Formats: sequence, C-alpha cells, structure tokens
Amino acid sequence: MDRIRTVLSRFAALFGKQKRDADLDEELRSHIDFAVEENLKRGMSMKDARTAALKEFGGMTQTKETYRVLRGLPILETLANDLRFGLRQLVKSPAFALTAILTLALGIGATTAIFSVVKAVLLAPLPYNNPGRIVAVWTANAAQGGQPLPSTAGDFAIWKQRSGVFEDLAPSYDNEQTLTGQGSPQFLIGYAVSASYLRILGVAPQLGRLYTDQEDSAGGPKLALLSDHLWRATFHSDPSIVNKAITLDGNAYTVLGVMPPGFNYPSSVEIWTPSNIAPSAYDDFSHTYIRILGRLRPGVTLAQAQKTLNDVEAQVATEHPQTDSGNRVVLVPLREQLDGDIRKPLLILMGAVGLVLLIACANTAGLALARNAERQKEIAVRLALGATRRRLLRQFVTESLLLAVIGGAGGILLALAGTHFLLGLFPNEVANLNIPKVTEIPMDRGVLLFAFAITLLTAFLFGIVPVVKGMRTEAGAAMKDSARGNTNTRRSNRSRSAVVMSEVALSLMLLTGAGLVVASFQKVINADLGFRPEHVLSMQLFLPPDRYPSTDPAKRRQFIEGVEKRLSALPGVKSVGTINFLPLSGFWGTTSFLLRGQAPPKNGQAPEADNRIITPGYLQTMGLPLLRGRNFTDADHAGELQVAMINQVMAKQYFAGKDPLGEQLNLGTADKPDWWQIVGITGDVKAFGQDQPTHADIYRPFDQLPFPLVAFTMRTETDPALMVKSAEQALWSVDPDLPVLKAIPMNLLASQTLAVRRASAALFSAFAVLALVLACIGIYGVMAYAVTQRRQEIGVRMALGARRSNVLRMMMGFGFRLALYGVVIGLIGAFALTRLLQSLLFEVNAMNPLVFSIAALVLVAVSTAASYLPARAAASIEPMQALRTE
Amino acid sequence: MGDKSDVLQGTLDLMVLKTLESMGPLHGYGIARRIEQVSGNSLSLNQGTIYPALLRLEQRGWIKSAWGTSESNRRAKFYSLSPRGRRQIEEEIENWERIASTMSRFLAPSN
Repeated sequence: MDRIRTVLSRFAALFGKQKRDADLDEELRSHIDFAVEENLKRGMSMKDARTAALKEFGGMTQTKETYRVLRGLPILETLANDLRFGLRQLVKSPAFALTAILTLALGIGATTAIFSVVKAVLLAPLPYNNPGRIVAVWTANAAQGGQPLPSTAGDFAIWKQRSGVFEDLAPSYDNEQTLTGQGSPQFLIGYAVSASYLRILGVAPQLGRLYTDQEDSAGGPKLALLSDHLWRATFHSDPSIVNKAITLDGNAYTVLGVMPPGFNYPSSVEIWTPSNIAPSAYDDFSHTYIRILGRLRPGVTLAQAQKTLNDVEAQVATEHPQTDSGNRVVLVPLREQLDGDIRKPLLILMGAVGLVLLIACANTAGLALARNAERQKEIAVRLALGATRRRLLRQFVTESLLLAVIGGAGGILLALAGTHFLLGLFPNEVANLNIPKVTEIPMDRGVLLFAFAITLLTAFLFGIVPVVKGMRTEAGAAMKDSARGNTNTRRSNRSRSAVVMSEVALSLMLLTGAGLVVASFQKVINADLGFRPEHVLSMQLFLPPDRYPSTDPAKRRQFIEGVEKRLSALPGVKSVGTINFLPLSGFWGTTSFLLRGQAPPKNGQAPEADNRIITPGYLQTMGLPLLRGRNFTDADHAGELQVAMINQVMAKQYFAGKDPLGEQLNLGTADKPDWWQIVGITGDVKAFGQDQPTHADIYRPFDQLPFPLVAFTMRTETDPALMVKSAEQALWSVDPDLPVLKAIPMNLLASQTLAVRRASAALFSAFAVLALVLACIGIYGVMAYAVTQRRQEIGVRMALGARRSNVLRMMMGFGFRLALYGVVIGLIGAFALTRLLQSLLFEVNAMNPLVFSIAALVLVAVSTAASYLPARAAASIEPMQALRTE
Repeated sequence: MGDKSDVLQGTLDLMVLKTLESMGPLHGYGIARRIEQVSGNSLSLNQGTIYPALLRLEQRGWIKSAWGTSESNRRAKFYSLSPRGRRQIEEEIENWERIASTMSRFLAPSN
C-alpha cells in the first residue's frame, strides 16, 4: 500500500519538474536563512553565521541530488532521455531512419494483415459446445476416387452401435426446399438433421426451441428451424415467428425456432428440419447420403477414433462385401471441415509473409550495423568518459525499440488498408469452393497484440547484432582504430556479409515459391475446361417435388421443353441446352454401373460414374465436342431405346481395346437390370475446376430420365451477363413460382473456381516483389557503406596504380560473391521448403528446374545491380582527396 | 566530535514522526534543530539529510506539507502528521523497540 503510494507520487513527480526544483531551492534557502538568523542571535558575525549554517547543513548539491533521485523514477527518466537522444539520432540521419521505418512498416504490415485473415478464418472461436471434440465422419472408397463422401444409413447405425469412441453420433442429409408464400419463391439450402445432431453442436436457438428425439421420428410433425439470415431477410425479424406456419415444397411446416447468428454448420444452410429417418432405413447399405457428425468421448484422440472406426468398418465389409468393401472411414475435425480449401493456402501465405518479415529484419539489421559502425567513435568516447556498458546497451535497445515501434505503428496502418483489400480476394458467393464465409476481417485486440509482439521480435532480431557488436567495442581500440582511419575490421565485414547473404537467400526462397505458385496458376488458367465457357449463361434451379413430383415425369418434360423454347426465342441466343449437374456449380451426383456380361463384383463395389442428364442442345451450347457416334435427338423419348453417351475418361478406363459404341450399361442392379445403350463418346469436361481430375461421365437424355435439378445453358451473341433478366422473364413466363438458384455466365463461374488460387498467386507474387525490393535496398545500403569504409584503402590502391576499372571490378566482385553464396544457401532452403507448397501447385513440380534457375538468376542480377552504384562510387574516388581527409 | 554518533538508517524517520507528533506543524530547520536538541547534541546530523527523509515520509502519505509563514515572518514549508502517519508511529515504535531489545540482548555481557 505504502509502496504503491510511493510509486504513484514518484510518477506524479515526473511532471512539473521545474516547479518542484524551484520549490526545493526555496525550501533549502529558507532553511539556511533560519540557521543564519539563529547564529546571528548567538552573536556571530554575518559571515561566520552563514559559514556555520552551511556547515551544519552538509553538502547542499548532494542533498539536492539525493532528493531528486528519490523524488522521481530514475528508470523512466533515463528512458525519456534515451528516447529523446534516440529521436535526435534518427532525425540526424533521416535516410537511415526513413528506410528502416519503411522497411519495418512493410514487413510488419504485411505480416499483420495476413495474420488478421488467419485469425478471422482459422483461429476465430467456433460458436459450438466444446468444438474440439466434434468431428465430421465420411466414407472414402478408392473405387470412387478416394475422396470423403457421405455414408449409408446402415453403416451409420453400426458405427454408432459398435465403435464406442463417440459420446454421440448423429445423421443428417441434404434437404433442399422451396419456400413459398413469403414474397417471391425462394430456393433454400436445407438440412434434415437429427435432434442429436443439434445437441452435438450444442447451440441454443435465439428464439423458440429445438425439436426433441420424439419429434424427430419417422412420420413425426413437420417442424423447421430458421437461420438468423433467413429470419431477418425473409421474415423481417418477426419476433413472433415461433409456432407460425410456413410453406416448404408445398407442405405446411411449423417454425419451432430461430438459430443464432454465426450458427452456420453446415455453412450456408438456411433451414433445418427433423431427419425423420425410418428405422428400416438402417438396413440400407447401398444409398450413400448420410452426412455424419459425432462428438468424441472425452480422452479419445482423433487417431484412436479413426483406427477404431476403420476396424469396425472392416467387420462391416465382411458382413456386407457388396457395398462396403474397400471403404475407409475419414474423421475430419469440425475446424478443418469449416476451413475447407482455404486452410493450407492461408498457412502457406503466413509462412511466406514471415519470410518477408525476416528480410525486413535483416535489412534493418544491415542498416543499423552500418550506422553503428559510424558511431564507433561516439561509443568509444562515451566509454572512455565512463559510460557503463549497461548504460550504452540500454541506449541501443531503446533506439532499436524506437525504430521498431514507429515501424510497427506504420505497419498497423498498412495492415488496416491491406485487410480491406484481402477481404476482396476471398469471395463468399462461390458455391463450388469449400471455403468459409468471411464477411469481415477485424483489426481486433488479438491482431494488435500480434503486431506488437512481432514488433518486439523484429526489434530484437535487428537490434541484437549491432548491440552485441557495439558492446565488444574497446574504448581504446576504437579510438586508435578511427585514428588510423580503418574501422573495416574482419569482424564487422563478416556480420555485414551475413546480412547480405541471408537477404539474398530468403528472397530466393520466396521468389522460387512465388514462381512455382504463379506457374501453377498460369497452367490452371490455361487448362482446357473441355468446353467453351465464353458467351454461355447458366441458370440453375430446383424443381420442387410438390409441384413436379417424380411420379409425374411428363410435367417435368413439359416444363423443360417450354423454357428451352422461350429461351431460344430470345434475341441474341444462339442455342439452348439443359443439364442436371452444371459443371463447376458444386452440385454433382454419381451412378453405379455394370457392363453387359460383367458379373457383379463379389468383393468390391460396382464402378461409379458421374450422373449427367442433358437435353440434345447441351453439347452444342457448351461447346462440348462429340468425338464419336451420335448426340441425343428429340426422338430419344421415354419408351424408346434407352441411350447414353460416355466421356473419353470412361471409354479409356472401362473399354480398353474395345469399341464402346453399341455396348450396353446396366445402371440398375444385378437382379433388376436397367439397360442403356452407348451411342456416343464426348470430350472430357473439368467439371470440378481446372485443377481437378475429370471423372468418368455417363450422359443420358432428359426425356428418358427427368431430373428435378435443372441448369439451363444458353450460348449468347453478346455479353451473357446482360441476358440474366430476360432469361429469368422467359423462365417465369412458363412457371412464375420457380426461384432461380443462381444465374451466372460460365466464364465467371470458371474464374470464381480459381478464387483461392488467384489470391494465393497474387499475394505470393506481391510478397516476392516486396522481398526483392527490400533485399535490393539492403544490399545497396551495405555495399554503399562498405565503400565509405574502404575509402582510404581504395585511395591507397589507386595511388599505388590501381585503375578505376580494377576498383569497380573489385567492389562488384565483392557484391557478386556475397550474392552467389546467398543464392546457394537460398537454393538449399528452397529445395527444402517448396515441398510444403504442394497444395498450391498444379502440373508444376516442386523442384521445377526452370523456376529455380530463373529465380536464382534474377537474384544474382538484382544484387549485382544493387552493388553497381556503390561500386561506381568507389571507382570515382579521387585518391588524393581520400587520403587527405582524416 | 568523537563522542557524536551517526544516525542509524531508518531511525531518522521515526525521530521526524515523533518530533511532528509532539511539536505540531514544523518546518525543516525546526525539525532538524529539535532532533539535535532532544538528542542533547550527541548526534552527528547533517541537517540536509532531513529533506530526503521528509520526502520519503511524504511519498508514503504519512506527513503532509504546505507553505506557510514562521513566527519571524519568514516563508517556509511546514510539515505536519497525516492521520495515517499518526497511526504509523505506534508501529514504528514497536519496530524500533524490537530491534533495540534484540541488539541489547546481543550486546549484554554473556553469563
């Protein structure tokens, strides 16, 4: 308590120092006056009285000094002194200060900006109960490409029963719905989830309640939970929405509750309904549609659960070999599930920007080294005058911190501007990329703390070398040294060379990485999609089952026919076609098939192909080539011969050495065959993005299999984006109650697919350029300094007959050698690190020799160029002048 | 001078507090003179050392200071005990007595 009071009053004493000093002076003066007065009364002479008074008092100056030290906070006062001195030093060498501050601001700013994205996307707390133990459970099978896919209800039931690693395991499945009666009809991404699914996530609704296990049973009541967004946008935040009735797919549902904002698992879902799974469904091992969410028991690790579940699935496979052979169970932590495809690129970018920060540190260290060497004399003088090393050390640390803090403040401003730009690089309205919604990148306390931490770190990194070197200075030696005019000792040479080499090495690593990523991006952009996306408008919609039931295929046919006719009649439309799963849309589905004469596989699943259903105009509209055979025609009706086309991948994979034309595919089961005759072979389409492999495709005519998911495509003469309105009008003239899911030109869709790649390539290149510029500045600074340091030496050489060209070559050679060493180190580093970039690469080897050599050449060229100006300055030294100064 | 002893570290604070307690508000010179008189001039006190001691006590909030006028009509800074300081005296005395008795036990001729 007393101590706190003391510190507070000492702190207060830091202000109004002059008044306090005057106060003390007056007090002490009055003290002496009292004493003199008393002495005079005792009969002393004025002079003696005064002398005696001062003697009694003791040392006046000493008292004042003790008093002052006791009064204030000496540490703060020294700090203030150091800061003032440091600022004066910076102002005295503005070129150094500006370069260092700018360098640090760029490094810290870029790092902070990327970190703010990482924090907003990867580190944001999940609004779920104990999210670390929540996992998504998927089935992967090599026969289907090995990617994680939904599971069967049968597998789900057995896993839940036998695995024992889950506290709870819950099923869900896609349940798209059309909402009517609330303004224009609206297609909603919906999920049917079990009551336990919501319990696993552990989120309470902001209004109303969740449904119970009793309510979530086969034949249970029709209930719905709304997303916050749906509630606000469509129901105008109606506070009494609970228990009101809404119409989904023509059925009346009761609104049970509204989920809170931020509840978005699975992302972009607008409506949740009970799963209503009938007990009989749990005997089904063939339909893969169940998306599973589980909560691990406390203490069970992901790896343990993974292993246990795979052991269970191995048992299931022996019991159900036809459906489960080769199945692998994949557990994905909720966090990764939500981060999706953006996690790795972000982490890679974070690493890259970290390298930029290191370069900024090296740069500033180099500059500080050069400047401190100029201050050797100052240091020596201060040491000689009795300054302690501690005191000097504090001075240096303060100066480094001062630079870093100013740079850091600038960096935060840059980052603020940068996050605004970064937000634009991660689009939200992209259905075909699995990336989380990011609507804002806040510059919050965590980010600021991070910026502060890296500021301190940089201050340490770039400050430590000059300080340690400064501390080694011997007062006598340095003064003698400078008297001889030769501070260019071997040691100072070495640390400066190290700085240059590390800058070259780090820049090379970044440049190589950027080169690989950009080369990959080029390849992806130029990759052939298999169709011509220019001048094609797509319009996706979903046929609600209440009005277009599967029992009435004729109605679906009529609808498609009607819309295609109206669209073709639009001015500027060249051709029109329709497909169920639009390439690049993110929607897709598969069908398993057997070849004629092929026995159903005993151990192993039937092969699968993507299920594509089209109208005759589709191939022409998309510019998808027909390679052999014939296209569908209007004559391929229901009731006629069932016909199919396959793509090249399928032809090569399953008809090696055989002509597929005329062959028959069984798309039913072995017991109940459903035969389709192959009449044509089409080209391959990159339906999942330019950088993704093409699956085997089976095309069938819409007329023979009317599908409820529809994407109209039209080839236009002008900008397809301008045709959206009239296309929608054409649709609504056929059915005014159908919501359009998405209307978008195909080339835009193709470009959106590359959003993450584009952002990564752009940022990576920006970092590489930044690194090059910083390295350039750094090398220039160090070389220029080396020239000033070697002025006398060069003067002597020239006086002894060295020619200017010799000097130029000598200095350039020095820079070139450093660059070369740096390049060698950098190449080793790049070889070690580029492997980590794998997820950003496409058809470019992580060791691509071309990229490596170009990057190396660029760096050698840049660093040689950066040392040219200083070298020329060295060559133009006038020997007599150089020798005379000093 | 040989028969004068130096002021022990820490004891000066107690002397100042005690002086202010018995004399009421007093300026620095007055406090110094009073301590010299009470000690019978047996202490070698540099009067100047009283000021850091006063500052220390004031920082702890045990005494207060204010400018005023002396009997001889001279401007001077007067120090007085704060309520906290008044309470503190008891504790300081106890402290001192504990130290003093410990010391005397050490110095007593051993039997």
